[in-house]
Amino acid sequence: MQTEKFYYDNKIVKYFANATALWGVVGMIAGLWVAIQFYFPAASLDYAGTTFGRLRPIHTNAVIFAFVGNCMFTGVYYSLQRLCKARMFSDTLSWIHFWGWQFIIVAAAATLFFGFTTGKEYAELEWPIDIMITLIWVVFGVNMFGTIFKRRESHLYVAIWFYIATWITVAMLHIVNSFEMPVSLFKSYSWYAGVQDALVQWWYGHNAVAFFLTTPILGLMYYFLPKAANRPVYSYRLSIIHFWALIFIYIWAGPHHLLYTALPDWAQSLGVVFSVMLIAPSWGGMLNGLFTLRGAWDKVREEPVLKFFVVAVTCYGMSTFEGPMLSLKSVNAIAHFTDWIIGHVHIGGLGWNGFMAFGMLYWLVPKMWGTTLYSKKLATNHFWLGTIGIVIYAIPLYWAGFAQAEMWKTFTESGQLKFQFLETVTNIIPMYITRSVGGTLYLIGAIMMVYNLYKTAKKGSFIANEEAEAAPLAKHASHGKEYWHRWIEKRPATLLVFSLIVVAIGGILEIVPTFLVKSNVPTITSVKPYTALELQGRDIYIREGCYTCHSQMIRPFRDEVARYGEYSKAGEFVYDHPFQWGSKRTGPDLARLGGKYPDSWHYNHMLDPRSMSPGSIMPNYPWLLDNDLDTASTPAKIRAMQTLGVPYAEGYDAKANKDLMTQANGIRISLKMDKIETPANKEIVALIAYLQRLGKDIKAEKKTETAAAN
Amino acid sequence: MFTYKLHFIKPFLRKLFVAAPLLLLGSVAAAQQTGSAPAPSIWDNALALTMLLISLVLLLVIALLANVVLGTAKLHFDKQKKSGTAAKIVSILLLFLAPSILHAQNAAAEAVAPAGPSSIGGLTPLTFWVLAGVIAVELLVIIVMGLFVQRFLAKEKIAVAAEEGIAVKTKPSGFKVWWDKLNSFKPMEQEANIVLDHNYDGIRELDNRLPPWWLYGFYVTIIIGGIYLWRYHVSETAPLSKQEFEIAMKKADEEKAAYLAKAANNVDENTVTLMKEVTALDAGKAAFVQMCAACHGKAGEGSVGPNLTDDYWLHGGSINDVFKTIKYGWPEKGMKAWQDDFSPVQIAQIASYIKSLNGTNPPNGKEKQGDLYKENGAAPATDSTAKKEVVIK
Repeated sequence: MQTEKFYYDNKIVKYFANATALWGVVGMIAGLWVAIQFYFPAASLDYAGTTFGRLRPIHTNAVIFAFVGNCMFTGVYYSLQRLCKARMFSDTLSWIHFWGWQFIIVAAAATLFFGFTTGKEYAELEWPIDIMITLIWVVFGVNMFGTIFKRRESHLYVAIWFYIATWITVAMLHIVNSFEMPVSLFKSYSWYAGVQDALVQWWYGHNAVAFFLTTPILGLMYYFLPKAANRPVYSYRLSIIHFWALIFIYIWAGPHHLLYTALPDWAQSLGVVFSVMLIAPSWGGMLNGLFTLRGAWDKVREEPVLKFFVVAVTCYGMSTFEGPMLSLKSVNAIAHFTDWIIGHVHIGGLGWNGFMAFGMLYWLVPKMWGTTLYSKKLATNHFWLGTIGIVIYAIPLYWAGFAQAEMWKTFTESGQLKFQFLETVTNIIPMYITRSVGGTLYLIGAIMMVYNLYKTAKKGSFIANEEAEAAPLAKHASHGKEYWHRWIEKRPATLLVFSLIVVAIGGILEIVPTFLVKSNVPTITSVKPYTALELQGRDIYIREGCYTCHSQMIRPFRDEVARYGEYSKAGEFVYDHPFQWGSKRTGPDLARLGGKYPDSWHYNHMLDPRSMSPGSIMPNYPWLLDNDLDTASTPAKIRAMQTLGVPYAEGYDAKANKDLMTQANGIRISLKMDKIETPANKEIVALIAYLQRLGKDIKAEKKTETAAAN
Repeated sequence: MFTYKLHFIKPFLRKLFVAAPLLLLGSVAAAQQTGSAPAPSIWDNALALTMLLISLVLLLVIALLANVVLGTAKLHFDKQKKSGTAAKIVSILLLFLAPSILHAQNAAAEAVAPAGPSSIGGLTPLTFWVLAGVIAVELLVIIVMGLFVQRFLAKEKIAVAAEEGIAVKTKPSGFKVWWDKLNSFKPMEQEANIVLDHNYDGIRELDNRLPPWWLYGFYVTIIIGGIYLWRYHVSETAPLSKQEFEIAMKKADEEKAAYLAKAANNVDENTVTLMKEVTALDAGKAAFVQMCAACHGKAGEGSVGPNLTDDYWLHGGSINDVFKTIKYGWPEKGMKAWQDDFSPVQIAQIASYIKSLNGTNPPNGKEKQGDLYKENGAAPATDSTAKKEVVIK
């Protein structure tokens, strides 16, 4: 058959690769900065935008969506063209995708910096950006499927199955989790509340890990690893089984982020068992990667690209074994809310995602510039620096997590908590310092790579359009008997639909009953909506990212009940749009903070935490004392809440600010009695109102019950 | 909305979630049990479940070994003989399955019958011995199969050696042999036979089998998943979070009571007396500086909290009242309860230290609050209300 001549678009790949390197370094610097704040709180600069609560979401969003996101697009745009034997469907769409995504990243960083956040982890971006993400994701999808449909290769390679599953699942997760009620241009409330919001959020959060950080990178592995090793993929059957098993089982495992919380037990158990079942499908990817290197291990000794891939795949195997172990309730009871989890995710982030990206870039740049790597030695040094960095990063955090959990749970013989919360924090500060050393090494390695790649590009000449030849796809494929999966591989649309069905099942079976079956969230009559001032205070709590360090979820453990009060009930959170359970306790739980300290304590504590608890590592929040509360937004917020089903009286939006001022005045007077002069219209007053409300409702119920009994 | 109509869904889903993995498990007894009331059944017994799990894992090992036996046999017997071996193996497997089905029926019977007085680990002797027997038979089958494999392999080695006319040369390390078998690796030289005709931008694919340990490991996790759901949500023999909490609290209370019964630590607001020893006051001071100074000032002069050095007290100034205030707190006024942080003796030490501050008159003292209290004076006016509050708490 006549072959056709065409050109691969390398320029778009180059741009995405540049963006990967740039955002990688930026994201890692942000990470290092937040790591330093753990032992040097003054590094927050007493400035809102650089305080942990705002900088941490910038770090996570930068490394996930900017660094790994651009890495994914680099790899997809390079490999998809070659696996389909076709140029990208549309250059215009490619560039819209590229610049759109970079615009989203910049908009995300800017809005998070200014405190515009939804307060849901890894989905912090406000609704206009959510919409932009959806649109750009569709552009990416159209471009990808356009390319697939005009391919010159009859079957789809396993890498493309992973790209397709990634695309459809991320779309589903993003859209469902981002349902929110706009209040203004940069403020919205999650459509869901409390337990339901938590379930949807962690269904999303867990599967963002699965379908943004795992499946696309597995796709890249399936292309770049055999290419770099020049070896055939170990097992086609293993690819099939682990692909379908992985995408089916992964979706179910979200609730393992909510073990021992107020989430119904049946959902927690599903999270546990599907996590355990996930070990083998995850390891299927690792085995297929490592076994592909059979007969090429001598090359691994020589080639830095393969070294990066080997450690990446091994880290993938380690963290996907550790994940299910952490999902066992007895292990989770120790690890959850501690730095153990931070160590765990960084094995995946630094090891798997980072090293896959580095290996891919080291392979790609010489190829596209038609030359060889500037310095293999420098790349090998980067490899060792990075590997040592990961070890020095992770081990101290495992230690810290375990040690702190043990201290939390220790009682004296006479039945008292042995350690104050703060003691458990100051005890692990050396580990925080060591961790940031590991992170620094890793960052230096990444900068070395940027230099190395820059030099490589300098010495070669860029091939913007790479010539290729292939015969067009025959119109009618043979109808002979073939292996069932070969049949699907010829039908991208079918593959897309099957993937969607497979990933939708788990989500539907977990989420729908939680929404519809009333017994999952038993009503507590004493739980009332927040007052206008408390609602404003809660929005400040969300804006400052307090949830990045403080949980609001007391688990049914002896130590937590002794330390924080009665364990949390599902019915307490019905008006929480969004929920603020948190996932890490750098500071103590706040679910029952209300009434524990006087207003003046909170005032002094927000100004300088160390004045009230010496040794605390919490940042200062001086601007809360100066900023005026934006009461103009109150009516819109009340109306938005009413739309979401919060039972404020009809027409309350007009009266809300009057109530707000009354309550604020009360707090002003109470502060004055403790010799603190502040006008009632400051943000700190609203925040104090919210903090004093936390956990009060259920205490009120206890009192009425006792009174009734008397 | 639709909520009340869907009440039935939860129990239904429960059953569905459990039934699905159990189908994979192929357990006959499961179906017999789901409908029955939560009478004491074999499924509630941890020993039984453990034994059952062992027997299932062994079954997987047998299946794995059977594969290996078939493979090695293939090298030696002609087609006719091989199918004979296969039949033999199938019959062995059936032999194994038969007792397990029998045992399932037994289990159902046991569930109905009241538990006999003589039991082994909560199981009737019959059930126990049946389970133990199943495991023993399985172990036996494994040993026999292992012997078969060994024999076949030994023959193969001799045959190969004879064919090549040389002694077995450079033996690979034991680990490598084990590793290759574990993953059922094909020798590199035979790789050409398993290259598929796929070619994607130069990437080829091999038709290697799934690594057996991986595949059977996958099955084991599915079985574990099924048993997990069964134990927590159908037989309800494993404690859910709230039950776990109650168990932990009960245990803690017992331990605490046992400790306090024998310790001199057993002091409360009624029995506390003013301590005057220097060691006690120093211990009280250390705790005060660490925890109380934040609100009451380093010298007790008061800041957010009241002045503790003057003669005026909001909640009574006797050692008993101070002890009580520290122990239970006055949460409405910002004083937290410290009884989970400090032991009774420590609270007594802190209270004694606070009493020792009386009249020290430190700089920046906060203005007086509450009622005048004089040692050995009249009972504080707030006493009666305080008692009431404590009752409510």
